[in-house]
Amino acid sequence: MITVGIDSGSTATKVAVVSGGRILAAVKAETGTDPALTASLCLDDALKSCGLSRKDVVSIVTTGYGRDLIPGRKKSVTEITCHARGASQSVPGAKTVVDIGGQDSKIIRLDGAGLVLDFVMNDKCAAGTGRFLEVMAGRLGLDLKEFEREWKAAREASKISSTCTVFAESEVVSLISQGVSTSSVVRGLCDAIASRIASMGRRVGIERPVVLTGGVSLNGGVRRSLERVLGSEIVVPPMSVFMGAYGAALIAASS
Amino acid sequence: MRWERFPAFLPLVLKSKLTYRVAGLALRYLGGRMSPYQLAAVKGVMSELGDAYSGRKPVIFTSAFVPTEIVYGLGAVPYLPEMWSGFAAAFGVSVRGIDESEAKGYSQDLCSFHRCHLGLEELSLLPKPSAIIVSSHLCDGGRRSLYAHSVSTGCPFYVVDVPYLMTDSSVRWLSCQVERICEDISRRVPGLSLDGMARAIENSNRARKIYLDVCQLRRNKPAPWSGSEALNYVFAFLSGWGSEWLVDFYANLGKTLKQRIEQSNYPVPQERLRLLWLNLKPYYGSPLFQYLAQWGVSVAFEEYSYVYWPEMHERRWAEGVATKMLSNFGWGPIERRLDAVWNMVNDYGVDGVVQFDQWGCRQSNGGARVLADFLREKGIPFLELDGDGVDPRNSSVAQALTRLQAFIEVMDARG
Repeated sequence: MITVGIDSGSTATKVAVVSGGRILAAVKAETGTDPALTASLCLDDALKSCGLSRKDVVSIVTTGYGRDLIPGRKKSVTEITCHARGASQSVPGAKTVVDIGGQDSKIIRLDGAGLVLDFVMNDKCAAGTGRFLEVMAGRLGLDLKEFEREWKAAREASKISSTCTVFAESEVVSLISQGVSTSSVVRGLCDAIASRIASMGRRVGIERPVVLTGGVSLNGGVRRSLERVLGSEIVVPPMSVFMGAYGAALIAASS
Repeated sequence: MRWERFPAFLPLVLKSKLTYRVAGLALRYLGGRMSPYQLAAVKGVMSELGDAYSGRKPVIFTSAFVPTEIVYGLGAVPYLPEMWSGFAAAFGVSVRGIDESEAKGYSQDLCSFHRCHLGLEELSLLPKPSAIIVSSHLCDGGRRSLYAHSVSTGCPFYVVDVPYLMTDSSVRWLSCQVERICEDISRRVPGLSLDGMARAIENSNRARKIYLDVCQLRRNKPAPWSGSEALNYVFAFLSGWGSEWLVDFYANLGKTLKQRIEQSNYPVPQERLRLLWLNLKPYYGSPLFQYLAQWGVSVAFEEYSYVYWPEMHERRWAEGVATKMLSNFGWGPIERRLDAVWNMVNDYGVDGVVQFDQWGCRQSNGGARVLADFLREKGIPFLELDGDGVDPRNSSVAQALTRLQAFIEVMDARG
């Protein structure tokens, strides 16, 4: 049975084509201004890449902020449930999922068998989200992929005291003008985001194994800072960026 | 009705006697389209607005938790500025009010209900108060922001200092204050006296008795009254006690709910889950409750609909009012609120509890962590929903919907 999960996020749209619990194809693109069109194009690309067509798809479940804008869905489910489902399938026994997306972050507590016990989301500002990192990377002239290299190179972390994206950007500018190394600033930024996530996490309690999903899961610097702050190893499963879409496809298969 | 731009003629319309005459006529012809309880409330409010804005009766501003029995008893019209911030949001002028107050230098940290009414005064949208009574319990922002109205209008300002604990001596102490404040107002404001106190208390007791039957009907599954509408009528619950119209309103509401139950005519016919709603809600157009209904979820009861005070003695009115204030479960040790919430959870058979965290509302938000732990320990799912009741710019509908929907999914998954 072929099912599809579409995660129409605020920044990126992710599509996963799944059969028998396995991801056959996954496609990601910037959501842009027309979430329905982007989702449709991603879906066609994903199906084409594994030699399938829309006729082969039994069911589609959508998630993400654009979840109710995508036509052809069987139903829409929140990112919380979808990430929980995808992560617990990828990492059996997962107890905590940290999903850091483009414009929000979530911490989801699971019972170890995939059932959501509780969740917490960041408040309405961009603190602790991928957008925060994007803005800072732009200011530092770095690619997000370079964060891990800079993190490793840092001898110490600069202190970024503000979690507000705008204020933190001013702090970064000030640190750069003081001649502080880029690596130190990068590590400070990663620590700031990690400490923000950790304080959110304490509201629901963080238990191992901890799984990191969402776009920021590919940022090795943030992962390392999170591991340090949480005092726990963090599992980044394969296709971690597609975990919401994967979970949606699994839900499509079971409903 | 929603105004994109603030209509400059609005203050004139509010203050014109013609407005209320036309509204009265309109109600006579269009009232048939409303439920009898809605008509009772609208008639009551319109009549009081007419009295307040035209100057026919003295107006007393009060903060939200001052028992209005004393205002009706004095023969004045109660006016709760915070409540009118909610109305301003519903009519699309709250943002203008908030902007005005911020332009005057009020901090964005202040609860938006207070910023809004401070701005509404700047826009000449409030009636002129003859006196202001605030209480020290629960809402600190209300006490201080209403003082600003006293300064700008030059009217006397009274603070009812409510003791933290309910004891015999605190009831005596508070009732003395209430009595002295009312006596002082009756001396200073022409046209007011204490003659109507017994009548106001009698009205309040009658309304309370009928309302308790309404609450009994609301235990029905599915819920016969939508929580969203009930939260609209929080204004009646806060400002109507002591009036004649509140008796009429609850009597008609009871009849309507009874009919709905007999005819199985429910706001959410396919009710799957029931929620208890704590604190207020967005009073501007917000789709939250429509989505809940679409998902088969009823808001069965609300914190602000809970009767927490005993019947009052008509002659010992000051003692009754003091007891009412001291009985407020939001005041005193937090265990009182936990007990009250737990009673509501059981009485209304709810599956989960949502607390709307109004921006700046310390009295409610401050205890949320304790409440969350208390409910979770008892196996009741709890969601804190950050938001703003009057400023639509201060929250994201998409984020609120994701939280609510995820909360419902968690409850569904638990079975």
